[in-house]
Amino acid sequence: MAAPGRKKMSRSFVQLLCHFNRTAVSSEGCRHFSITSVSRATPQPKDVTWRVGSPWTLMAAVCLQRLPVISADCNPLEQRFKNLMQQVELEKSLLSDHELQLLEDAERMRRKQAADYDSDEEGGRDDQDIVLAQDLEDNWEQKLRSFQPAPRVRADVDKDLTSVERCLAEPLLLLTKQQVGDEKLWLLPQAPWQAGETLRQTAERALTTVTAAGFKATFLSNAPCGVYKYKLPNASRTESSVGTKVFFFKALLEDRSPAEAPSMPLVWVKRSELQQYLKPNYKMKVDRFFLSL
Amino acid sequence: MNCFFRKLQASVTQQVFVLSQALTSCRVMPSIQHPVCCTTSVNKRLYRSRATHGIGRWKFLLPKEAPKKKRDKLQMKPIVMATNTTYGTLNVTVSGYDMTAVEHYSQYIHNLCNRLGVKVSESYALPTKTTEVMLVQDQGAKSYVEAVLKTHQRVIQLSSLDATLCPVFMEVLLQNQPEGVQLAVKEHTEADFHARFKSRPELDGLIAQINQ
Repeated sequence: MAAPGRKKMSRSFVQLLCHFNRTAVSSEGCRHFSITSVSRATPQPKDVTWRVGSPWTLMAAVCLQRLPVISADCNPLEQRFKNLMQQVELEKSLLSDHELQLLEDAERMRRKQAADYDSDEEGGRDDQDIVLAQDLEDNWEQKLRSFQPAPRVRADVDKDLTSVERCLAEPLLLLTKQQVGDEKLWLLPQAPWQAGETLRQTAERALTTVTAAGFKATFLSNAPCGVYKYKLPNASRTESSVGTKVFFFKALLEDRSPAEAPSMPLVWVKRSELQQYLKPNYKMKVDRFFLSL
Repeated sequence: MNCFFRKLQASVTQQVFVLSQALTSCRVMPSIQHPVCCTTSVNKRLYRSRATHGIGRWKFLLPKEAPKKKRDKLQMKPIVMATNTTYGTLNVTVSGYDMTAVEHYSQYIHNLCNRLGVKVSESYALPTKTTEVMLVQDQGAKSYVEAVLKTHQRVIQLSSLDATLCPVFMEVLLQNQPEGVQLAVKEHTEADFHARFKSRPELDGLIAQINQ
């Protein structure tokens, strides 16, 4: 299989098994990811010796996304077309078994009420009189009325920025307020790279710094999806530090249970709300990989 | 006098020549205008002797094809092995209870692969599994059929998915997954291929008998 290379990180996805489920809106029935790689080679850390002279500090950030749970609502034109297509299909369709049974029963009822009814002519169908198709339908109707589906859109939950369950129709991104230099900024959770680990391991570590338990996330790839370069202002530049480079890694949230005791303020935002939180240059780089389809 | 005769002769011969030319042209003309009316032998001889005979032939230039046999047993396409940069043969299975959603989603995946340049080697459906949901009646011990659920499955087989494209591809698929539809991505094996066919117990029994 894939031998770990010196220059490249090894391919640990060679035998990949992913299983993705999409069920009801309830938090128990969330997406299940199980990636079991049968012969997974542990990624070998890169040789560090040749990086010593670089003036850039490396950091890895994780772009943790909660994927949409329900499908988005149709816009008015789509709704009109949908209604039209449903009407056309209904008019062109044939009657189902149940509907045919209903018609037959109605016919038999009518014949029974007629004056010259002779029950011998009917033929042996005793059980048809006991349970009519109409009774079955009434039964089903009753059960449907007693079923309460969960509401698709809950305005109060939508407004709560820290809740994972807000805006179920759109993908959400996790942002945390972190101390960078002198000020506190809203960023994707990041951690500085330490010698002897891969950048992806740094990103996984960044995720655990947000909460003690960490989110259950599946990283999509060993390679970063984006990069942000920050040059320190001329005054604070030295020989050994010109600035920082932040590499972003994409991860998908598996479990929609609320996070316990986050160590720093966190917020789940939609693509349209990114502008209020992120600095313009940073947002420009994040926009490139944050898909909102 | 002599010259007059000679001139006459010359003119006569000229006229005869002209006449004969006219005759031959007349003879040819009917064959062009009414090829059906003339006898076939006359027509063929005229066609085959023409310089342009067979000018429209092109099938002899094509390479010889083996004669088309009757429908073969479905052969398994060779399983592509994974390399350092691409995955091998992958099976993307879409399953669910709602057939329209399952079919539309599988069509969406197929079209997406076409657009992104991911080669789709096969696209097939596995047989539908019917599940009967039986509830125990409140009064008695007998259970009655409450509902019949049908699980539909569609498989799209990808032959070469680039490792660089894979994360983007998976994310797009997951973002557009409809409700009630399950997605599974696995590697293709021979066992998966043979699972598509019905087992024939009589044939297996006869083969076992022959081998004994």
